[in-house]
Amino acid sequence: MTAANDARTTEDRYRQRQEFDRATFGTHCVNCFPNDCPVYVFAKDGKVVFEEAAAVLGTIEPGVPDMNPMICQKGLAWSRQMDSPDRILHPLRRAGERGEGRWERISWDEALAETADAILDAIAEIGPEAVVLEATPEIAATIPAARFMAALGGTVLDVDATINDFWAGQQAVFGKFTFASSIDDFFHSDVLLIWHSNPAYTMIPAFHYMVEARYRGATVALISPDVSPSHSHVDYHVPVRHGTDGALALAFCQVVLAEGLADLRFASEQTDLSLLVRTDTGEYLRESQLRADGRADRFYQWHPEKGLVPADPASLRLDFEPLLAGSLDVRLAAGGHVVVEPLLARVRRELDAHYTPELAARVCEAHPDTIRMLARKVARGRTHIILGAGVAKYFHGDLMTRAMLLLLGLTGNWGKKGTGVGGWCSSLFDGHGLALAKTKAGRAGAREIYDGFRAMVGGLRAQDPTLTSELGDRALWRLVGPARGMMPPAFFWYWHAGFKERWNRPEWNDPAMTRSFDEYWKEALESGAWNQSASPPPDRPPRVLLEIGGNTLRRTRGGQGVLLERLWPQLSKIVAMDYRMSETALHADIVLPATQHHEKVALNMPTPWTMLLTMSDAAVPPAGEARGEWEVLAELCKKLAERAKARGVEDYSDRLGAAFRLDDLWSRFTLDGVFADDESAVAEMVADAVEVGNLPAGTTLETFRQQGYTRYAKWGFLALATAQASPFPEGETHAPLRDHVELGHPYPTLTRRAQFLIDHPWFREGGEDLPAHKEAPPMGGDHPFLLSGGHARWSVHAMNTTNPVLLETHRGKPFLLINDRDAAARGIRDDAPVRVWNDVGEFVVPARTSPAQRPGALTVYNGFEGFMFPGGRGHNEVEPGLVKWLHLVGNYGHLSYTPMEWQPVPFDRCIPVDVAPIQEES
Amino acid sequence: MSPVADASRAPGRQVAMVFDLNKCMGCQSCAVACKMLWTREPGEEQQWWCTVNTQPGRGAPRDWETMGGGYRDGRLVLGREPTREEIGGGWSFNQQDVFFGGHGRAVHLEPRANGRAPAWGPNWDEDQGAGEYPNSYFFYLPRLCNHCTKPACVEACPNAAMSKRREDGIVVRDEEACRGARACIKACPYKKIYFNHVRNVSQHCIGCWPRLERGVAPACVRNCPGRLAFVGFLDDTTGPIHRLVHEWQVALPLHPEFGTEPNVFYVPPLSPHPLRADRSIDESRSRIPPAYLESLFGSRVHGVLDRLRRELESVRAGGRSELLDTLIAYEFRSLLGPFTREPAQIGATESGASESTTEAR
Repeated sequence: MTAANDARTTEDRYRQRQEFDRATFGTHCVNCFPNDCPVYVFAKDGKVVFEEAAAVLGTIEPGVPDMNPMICQKGLAWSRQMDSPDRILHPLRRAGERGEGRWERISWDEALAETADAILDAIAEIGPEAVVLEATPEIAATIPAARFMAALGGTVLDVDATINDFWAGQQAVFGKFTFASSIDDFFHSDVLLIWHSNPAYTMIPAFHYMVEARYRGATVALISPDVSPSHSHVDYHVPVRHGTDGALALAFCQVVLAEGLADLRFASEQTDLSLLVRTDTGEYLRESQLRADGRADRFYQWHPEKGLVPADPASLRLDFEPLLAGSLDVRLAAGGHVVVEPLLARVRRELDAHYTPELAARVCEAHPDTIRMLARKVARGRTHIILGAGVAKYFHGDLMTRAMLLLLGLTGNWGKKGTGVGGWCSSLFDGHGLALAKTKAGRAGAREIYDGFRAMVGGLRAQDPTLTSELGDRALWRLVGPARGMMPPAFFWYWHAGFKERWNRPEWNDPAMTRSFDEYWKEALESGAWNQSASPPPDRPPRVLLEIGGNTLRRTRGGQGVLLERLWPQLSKIVAMDYRMSETALHADIVLPATQHHEKVALNMPTPWTMLLTMSDAAVPPAGEARGEWEVLAELCKKLAERAKARGVEDYSDRLGAAFRLDDLWSRFTLDGVFADDESAVAEMVADAVEVGNLPAGTTLETFRQQGYTRYAKWGFLALATAQASPFPEGETHAPLRDHVELGHPYPTLTRRAQFLIDHPWFREGGEDLPAHKEAPPMGGDHPFLLSGGHARWSVHAMNTTNPVLLETHRGKPFLLINDRDAAARGIRDDAPVRVWNDVGEFVVPARTSPAQRPGALTVYNGFEGFMFPGGRGHNEVEPGLVKWLHLVGNYGHLSYTPMEWQPVPFDRCIPVDVAPIQEES
Repeated sequence: MSPVADASRAPGRQVAMVFDLNKCMGCQSCAVACKMLWTREPGEEQQWWCTVNTQPGRGAPRDWETMGGGYRDGRLVLGREPTREEIGGGWSFNQQDVFFGGHGRAVHLEPRANGRAPAWGPNWDEDQGAGEYPNSYFFYLPRLCNHCTKPACVEACPNAAMSKRREDGIVVRDEEACRGARACIKACPYKKIYFNHVRNVSQHCIGCWPRLERGVAPACVRNCPGRLAFVGFLDDTTGPIHRLVHEWQVALPLHPEFGTEPNVFYVPPLSPHPLRADRSIDESRSRIPPAYLESLFGSRVHGVLDRLRRELESVRAGGRSELLDTLIAYEFRSLLGPFTREPAQIGATESGASESTTEAR
């Protein structure tokens, strides 16, 4: 009997239901948007009974709505995952075939010994690279896991590629993508273009700022193929054909230039549009072409009186108005002449030739009048593009992004409040960086890292006086980042997981490729650009896969089919640590029970979206035998040393010659106990960030427990954070890139300007040296429907897909969204199962019919686990998981790998498929 | 004082709510906040006192608008009780089989209602909407007990178990007096009363009175990330509720023709302009057919939408709108009326009177 049913009166009954004996602040340590919701977690008798928004945030900027209450339906039901039947309560060992779901309960000691032995076997047979960790945005897990892997010498797959969240287009233009506005800055916009995003699903605690901006006078437009759930709050919905957004953006640009609405002063200063380019090759005119001793990274502008003048690499400030039209004859050092012109002249010509509203309308299906109307609004008002990570998941998403950014660059729409476009930044908290890098405990250990960092940046800036502070941070990140142990997973997938064959299918790839994918691949490797990061190499195959909070079988574009067929058989041990049975845990050999967020002390994803850092607290004791990641990995270190000693395993080294020992693994990982449990590890991170980083003085675990959150005090010292390039906002909203616009600080690109031309020969050959529209290649064959996805309303990736409360807020199962008329024409009924297939694979899913879906288009929202589909396979099975060959370029200025940035990432939008009702099949 | 002891129907003060549908993104936070707090006991599995549905749609319970109840010509009308299938939800899942049953891919996770695949749920027709692409349309409608001024449920109860609280007008039921007659369910035209088959009583939204009495806003309002739900006393002439409902008259009751005089009001939804056949935008019209909105909110809805459009035009031209500033709600607290205390500041005890010391302050 429950207490409520013991109640003698109605009054007692309901009063008792809101009873709690403990209220703590909590949060949810996973990447969603905007993260860092401070919540109250109410517990009674050692169980969480309910949770609520803690509306404790103050006004940031007078006249701008506050951020309260930060919450969503997932956060409100988070605790229902704690006692859900899929909760992992004890260490388990597989007792049947992989994926069969037969388990035997084992002790922690057995589980760790078996894991340790598998790791030692892998090191002995192959080397430490054969131990692979898939990094994950489950931040409470990924920091300890990455530190463990660094101590061991294993392979960590780069999280921005494993979750497909690297946005190549931003990197191509700005040389960085980890900058973003705070959510309240949307309120300052005059025009909000919701483009490649569905904020009604994906930005729930931030959505109100868009409506509130509208109530302040903003025009809100949604550009999307479907009548998306975000459509009902906008003034204009512009339906476009899938994958043609680049054509629309370029038509906006054409109108802006043709009607004289461009902010040419802004464009001249901030972008490469004022740089001179050769009319013969389309490349930039470089100093190396004019002087034998000239540099290849020095460029030119056209002074109205002085003619050719070098573009200042140290500053964007101009004391003249460079000419933006016409051409100039230039004598080359090697002999001969070349005609050069400002890049804007070429861009204008291309736009007039191919992207007038009338021409673009034929491609994207927006009406020319609509294109003109919106282009004028963008040119005249502060415009923010609410751009989601979906754009990065299109084969030509980089081209679309570059086209959108050209629009913003031509209209002066970044580096000012209410303008711009966001990227993804998860690196705002110095404590995380220090926890990964420290080799000595305590503040002295943090100081050592910080001082070393600063000294190295100082050295780089002394060598190159044109480097601003931001460029210095970034130069160091480029130097040391690739050695930090994260590897772009493209190499892993290609060499070890069966993707080589898929990526080499010419009929699925871009027709502009003149050679096979493999030839580009070989050339990219031979360039030396990926030397440090092309790992594990073919001769070091994987043997142990660690999933600590991750879920590779659910998330990998390309599907679990290929992984189970090609990767799984090579693996001697798959170890999954999670608090719930994920698709990957279901197919693992050892399953370890992790604490859930309300059972551990951890810090949330640090981002500029809210400028808040929130802490999850241990509101209740762990369920079953669950333990925190720090503690488990510390124990695993001990077990490795113990087993190594018993087995007589000697020291070992990795492929680059770095030597590792196991006898001191525990003390190296934990720094003699500091990183041996949640509370101690988090206290260390907080104290370090107060000492040398970006938390305010006086911040401790106790202040988090009193306030629920803290606001950062400054940007911190990691390049991914200082990429904001704006004054740290005090009493105002945050708009990134202000230092570039207000102070003329150069961008971290090849040309030191926001760069619309990529004059790498592959880009030129592919017709992508400038922003352009290209049709999505038929990734998966020639079929009549296009399947796309998007983040779901009901889950954060897979997290909460099986939450029993949230399952009742939809149909409790995955679904395929299909246009009602398409469905009728094919005999497909609402809620009846359909088969979806293409040349890659197939899956079965119930249909959901709606006139809101675009005819010819299909959607399966992201996050559903394979085990939720009939037959156990989801929509990833029809995704070939292609990457774009141009993203193998690694030796072009800012197009070079640094962790979490430039690298090939697979795509999942616009997959050609066919669909039929199941009854037809049987 | 017992919440139900004062069975008088004498008018006292009335707590009311306004939901601005132009801010609602259908996220279900209000529904989940309510579910987590109030209906987690056996017999309450299917009870979602607060639901959010896509309109046009069949809603929850399925086709509830056709089931009858309320007043016609001032006379109480008993409609019908929704079936358990029409209410939906309360599903069970086969996690044990999927994860620990040893069946591999032969089984997959699926909802079950009484052993069968469910045919309906609290949000079954989510985002399906109406119209024809590309001019299809929908919006979201949060619904809970309207705590009506003329509560048909109270009048219908044969056991005098229901009443309106004098201090806040919340409609409550004495569950000890309730005999499970379910007349209230038949009488409620909004079908927001549920039957508990375990305890043999009916239940519905309690207006979070155990929170109101401690100065804490209802869970649905306080956990609305869209910042679109207002709560407060209807007679507080300085508060946003009074101004939106009575002064500016932009917040309307749902189905006023049901005759129960609801105290939950809605700012009706604008919608994007439709496209003509040539894909140009017709700025003279909105996508949601006015007749449909009239069927929900009555004929006053047209004037309200005109007013909202005028205000939007005015701020776009650089003007200021007190109405839109109110809907912006610069401070979250302004949505909460007098109920601005943080829930962690109160500790519920047996007496319900004392303050607890909590770690979160």
